[in-house]
This record gives sequence, structure tokens and C-alpha cells, in this order.
Amino acid sequence: MPMNATRGYHSGLVDLTSGQISREIFVNEDIYAQEQERVFARSWLFVGHESQIPNNGDFFVSRMGEESVILCRDRSGAVRVFLNSCRHRGMKVCRYDDGNAAVFTCPYHGWSYGTDGALVGVPFFREAYHSELDKTKWGLVPVAQLACYKGTVWANWDASAPPFLEHLGEFRRFLDLILDGWDGREGQAELIGGVQKWIIPCNWKFPAENFSGDTYHNISHRSVDLVGAGPSGRSRRDYNELNVARKLHVALPDRGHQTITYALPKDHQPQAAYQNSPEVAEYFRHCEEERRRRPGSNNRLMGAPGEIFPNVALLPRQPRTLAVWHPKSAHETEVWRFFFVDRDAPQQVKNFLRDYYIRYSGPAGMTEQDDMENWNYAHAASRGVIARRYPYTYEMGMGHAVENYEWDGLQIPGRVIDLTKAQASEEPMRNLYRRWAQFMEADSWDELMPWRHETAAQAAQ
Amino acid sequence: MSDPINVRALAVGTRVMLGSGAEVEIIVNPEDGVWLFARYLSSADDPAMVGTEDMIFAQDVVEIRP
Ligand code: FES
Ligand SMILES: [Fe+2]
Repeated sequence: MPMNATRGYHSGLVDLTSGQISREIFVNEDIYAQEQERVFARSWLFVGHESQIPNNGDFFVSRMGEESVILCRDRSGAVRVFLNSCRHRGMKVCRYDDGNAAVFTCPYHGWSYGTDGALVGVPFFREAYHSELDKTKWGLVPVAQLACYKGTVWANWDASAPPFLEHLGEFRRFLDLILDGWDGREGQAELIGGVQKWIIPCNWKFPAENFSGDTYHNISHRSVDLVGAGPSGRSRRDYNELNVARKLHVALPDRGHQTITYALPKDHQPQAAYQNSPEVAEYFRHCEEERRRRPGSNNRLMGAPGEIFPNVALLPRQPRTLAVWHPKSAHETEVWRFFFVDRDAPQQVKNFLRDYYIRYSGPAGMTEQDDMENWNYAHAASRGVIARRYPYTYEMGMGHAVENYEWDGLQIPGRVIDLTKAQASEEPMRNLYRRWAQFMEADSWDELMPWRHETAAQAAQ
Repeated sequence: MSDPINVRALAVGTRVMLGSGAEVEIIVNPEDGVWLFARYLSSADDPAMVGTEDMIFAQDVVEIRP
């Protein structure tokens, strides 16, 4: 690896030996421009969910990094993702948020593309082009790689990146906590409502590191806890399991994914939740019992905030949501928040959850507003010439992570810090920025897949 | 010059005349105001077009047939 493990990203902007990171990586516009090329143009990015495009011709206009893309189900039923830019002069071909289309017609000169991206209509093709334009060369630009996983759709502009599930690695089980049904059945999630979209005046890495597992900022949400916005009218969430669970930070160093998770004891029983609605409480009690009957280690994990590198945040439980931190400029982030429910849940349960979700998250959500306030002012107060001279500290819990963590027969992958007593660590943030620095330095994906070299070396032995 | 025709509002089955004098019948209207999918009923310029389907550009539509 070209990156010096102690002083990453060229000039030591990410120094994981001292646990210090320069404010420049958040506020410097040149670094931001390089990130678009080195991080976003070669990472797996979340573009949407198949429940948004159930029928042929359905589309959802999404984003990858700064750029608009069209997620659609073509006329033959295949899922596609294209750059939303006309090949003639670059006009945004589709300016709706979502819908159903037979063709995507460019408003500028009228070029028209099929739902498979092929250029099908060119005004005055015979007269002006004398039928000489090779239409097969001028279709919409497709992504290099596309992956559908339990309904979620991910895309990558880099053909040399590893397949999506290899990139996800052992983090898959934490993503499954959102995508599988509450009763443990595979892939039961569907999107509820529209996607909430709004802009926060801060660098995208502020929310990305916060959702990586910042348990230290709980104090910031004290007012929400006091109000009792949770689904049982107390606190923020129903978390009765905490009394018996181990609270963990889990970080996958070679992937850059990290999360908080709760490990439950072998024989734990469902805890009272959703006490403000007997029907909803009964639904979840039933699901929790079903889930315990299903084999697999995931029934002993309780989901909590986490981050899939680079810009997707998960919150598997209360509220069950994915957020994408789209970079807009060094100083602005466009957040897209997607909310999920079990497809088969009774309508009453879905309605209850919708109310809870928007009370908690999104631009009007009480908890998200606390976070936005912090990121907004932290960013602004870090931009000045004097402020930039002083790095942030990420040394909390350095040297305290362990590998091969096991508790009560449950094995946890990656590097783990037990927070049950410690309460907080900055291991997840160090993990995020280590991976970020690797991306900023590496010239090819080959340098970003150390696990492949390890496998090859083992095979050679 | 005749008044422009709002192709968005044309129903499937409508017959229209094109600038070339050809007559086509609309088979799909994507309602984007720019294109129609149509079948050729007549085409003096190129008789081989009759019976074929093609995309018709809005500016090419000159008249709605009764
Ligand atoms: S920019 Fe799209 S047709 Fe010219
Ligand atoms: Fe928060």
C-alpha cells in the first residue's frame, strides 16, 4: 500500500498515530474536488429501492455523488441506472422526481432515449444528419456496475471495483437488520412514503462520521429524551434490551464500514415496546417471537446507527431508515432519507411508524434537527484561516479495540470496542477516515483490496 | 405556416399528416410533447414505409386528419 499507515493522505492530514485529523479535509475545496474523483467516482453508492420502481417503465431520479442519475425498470423488467445527462449537449434528460415513462425525451433539441438507455429518437435524423449519426454510440451513459441486494439498488462508475457483496464483506449482516423482515424473513422491507430531501450547510463527512457510531453526542439529544418522542412516549426509542445487552462498536478496517450494535444474550425474551398502541405492540411482539424461532446469528443483534463507506447511513431500528449524504459542495450536503417498513405489516402499523419516523428523523424530525444544528455550526466555525490550523482529536479509545470478539457464544467480525462500560469511543471514526485516506491516495482499486492479496498469499503458502 | 399542433393531446388512433405528405396513425403517445409512435398508412415519397412503425417528431406533424 502506498499509504503510510501512520500519516495518511499525503501531508499527514489524517494522522492515526496521534489520532488527529486536519480540519482541511472538511473545508478545503481542492480536497473536495479530489474526493469526487477518488472516492465517489469509484465507490459503491446507494441509488434507491426496487419498491420505488415496481412496474416496467417506472423511474426514480437519484444521485451518485454530485451527479443526477436515472434509476429505472426498463420495458423488459431489467433494473438500469444511467447518468441523467443528454449525450447531445448535456441537458438533464429527466427533470421529474419519479414516474413512469415510455421514453426519456430531452427538452433541449428533442433527442429521445428508451428505458434501456438506447438513443431511439433524433429529430431530423434523415434530413439534418443524413442518417449518418451512429445512434448505437450515443445512448445514455450506463453505470459500470449495478447490484440489487434484497431490494436495495447500488451502482458504481468503476468497472474495476469488486462486486458489491465483496465490498460489503461481513458488514452484510448489519445491513440485513434493515432489509430483512422484523420477524427474520429475508428481504421484507419496502419504502414508506416519499424520500425526504434537504440541504445541510456542512461537509458530507460530518454526518458520515456521526452515523458511524457517535454515541458521545447523546447529550445533544437530551431535550428529545425529555420530551419523550419515543414510540412508547418515553425517551427517544424503546431500548429495554439495553439492560441485558452488550453495547459494541464494530469496525471493518479493510472496508471502511462501521456501526454501533447491541449483542443480546442467548435466551433473551422480547421486551415491551410501542406501548402507545396495543396493535403495534402486538405486531412487534409477534415478530420478535418469530425472529427468535429462525436460525441465524442475526436474531441476537439489535441494530443501531452505522455507516457503509462512503456515504450511506443505516439506522435499522427506531426509526428504520437509510440516509445518503450526497456531497453538494465542500460546504453543503444534500441529505436523502429513505424510510422502511415490513411489506406485510398491517396498515395501522405502517401509519404509526410513519408518524414516529418523521417525528424523529428528517428536516422536521426532532433528533435530526439537533444533529444538523451541530454539523452546521461546527462546519462554519472550522472554515476560518485560524480555525483551520487546529486539528480535531479522534484519540478516544485508541488501542482498546479487539479482534475475534465473542460474547455468550456470539462472534462479532472486525475490530470491536465494548462500550457497555466505556460508553463511547472514536474507533468507528478512525476507521472511516483510514479508509477515506486510502481512497484519496490509491491510484487503483487493486491497492484498495488488501483482503484479495491476503487470500492470494494464503493460497500460495 | 399552420398553427402548431399540440401532439401531447392526440389520442391513440388519431391520423395525422406529416410534412412529407405521408399519413400515419398514432399507436403510442408518450405524452412528452415531442414524439409520437406511429404506423405509416401512406407515403408517396417512400412507399416501402407503409405498414412500418416509426417515431414521429412533433415539428413534422402538419395536420390532424378527420
Ligand atoms: S441537449 Fe439533448 S437534444 Fe440537445
Ligand atoms: Fe444524533
